[in-house]
Amino acid sequence: MPLEVKQADERTLAIRWQDEHESLYPCGYLRKLCQCAGCVDEWSGQRRMDPNQITEDIHPIEIQGVGRYGIRINWSDGHNTGIYTFKYLREICPCEKCKQ
Amino acid sequence: MTSIAEEQILNALKTVKDPDLHRDIVSLGFIKDLKVEGGTVDFTIELTTPACPVRDQLKQECESKVRALPGVKEVRVEMTSSTRGRSRFESATVLPGVRNIIAVASGKGGVGKSTVAANLALALAKTGAQVGLLDCDIYGPSMPLMFGLVGRQPEVTADEKILPLKAHGIRLMSIGFLATEKAPIIWRGPMVHQIIQQFLTRVEWGELDYLILDLPPGTGDAQLTLTQSAPLSGAVIVTTPQEVSLIDARKGLQMFQKVNVPVLGLIENMSYFKCPDCGHVAHIFSGGGGEKMSEELGVPLLGQIPIDSAVVETGDQGTPIVAAKPEGQTAKIYQIIAGAIAAQMSIVNMKGGPAGPVNIKWETKKS
Repeated sequence: MPLEVKQADERTLAIRWQDEHESLYPCGYLRKLCQCAGCVDEWSGQRRMDPNQITEDIHPIEIQGVGRYGIRINWSDGHNTGIYTFKYLREICPCEKCKQ
Repeated sequence: MTSIAEEQILNALKTVKDPDLHRDIVSLGFIKDLKVEGGTVDFTIELTTPACPVRDQLKQECESKVRALPGVKEVRVEMTSSTRGRSRFESATVLPGVRNIIAVASGKGGVGKSTVAANLALALAKTGAQVGLLDCDIYGPSMPLMFGLVGRQPEVTADEKILPLKAHGIRLMSIGFLATEKAPIIWRGPMVHQIIQQFLTRVEWGELDYLILDLPPGTGDAQLTLTQSAPLSGAVIVTTPQEVSLIDARKGLQMFQKVNVPVLGLIENMSYFKCPDCGHVAHIFSGGGGEKMSEELGVPLLGQIPIDSAVVETGDQGTPIVAAKPEGQTAKIYQIIAGAIAAQMSIVNMKGGPAGPVNIKWETKKS
């Protein structure tokens, strides 16, 4: 579970976790990994969204909590249907240590 | 001279442990307003909930430990409480002012969930806590009948806020106050979503220690909307002892685990029937199911509620049994369960939860 969710800079979301690990997510990386039914086929699990269509300057407009388990990001490209669960966010932490 | 005595007293109090939080009451910050004048010692113990089940035990232990110190003639202990709650509850956008939001759920219908929710709310209120009860059973709201408020309508303020009704010392809101009880409520998903949103944002609860949500049975639309829109502090699952009911209770439990809502425990309803004439106990729906499930899933069994014909009578007459027969055996069991829930909630709150409500407006140089 996160202790803090905040904007690190114009292009990065930061989450500090209960075990004191800090994850930094570049906006484009997060947008491309959206898990919603529009972006990932619900039955086959295949990615339906074309990552090449995500522009360099993508960023959130607003981020809101969803219950106790995740966040919803309202993106600058108008996309807002994805829920990023904290469990998922921790799994996709892009730091070197977590990637291994 | 006085300062030494104070330290001695605190040292003596440090040997008193809160049995639920597993720490001494001094380092937990429970001791307030310690005053020593001659041989008289005054202090206040501030508990994390007015429903603390070990309230009297802690008071007695503190009194006797301090009285045993040399030079102490009289000990005066005041008991108060300041209910711990979710972080930043005062300024939350959803349910501001509500410290703890506890869902009462069941996987299956017919286990007496609404009766349990109503009586638990009353039992918590009896300890001095500020309690609200939100009947989220969209399809079969039963709170208006159980609280004798059929046909009553809540007031709506000029700024479109709905004021909850009051009954037996708690604040109450139900979809039943907005629809007539004779017509069934036939709604599709989007309507369910909308009405729940309204309940969570438009009802003016004021300051509450506990808001009890009576969920509709199952793991469907309404439950999902609630777990996504309301920052639930915890959930209790009501079940009956037989296997068919336990299968569904497990599903309910898994749903809460999936959305990261701490399951405070299980309540086994209709556990047994005790004959009022001969005292014989009959396990009508078989026995031990709740215990088995509690062990299997690693959640506490908060209590077992017997079958009591007075529960139905009092409920149908608009005064749930905890309010109608507070000295009866069933009401006493509810009181114990309410204490257990409050204790479990305090444990969860002491562990420190997630980062409070997330609400970020992204800043860019351009904007």
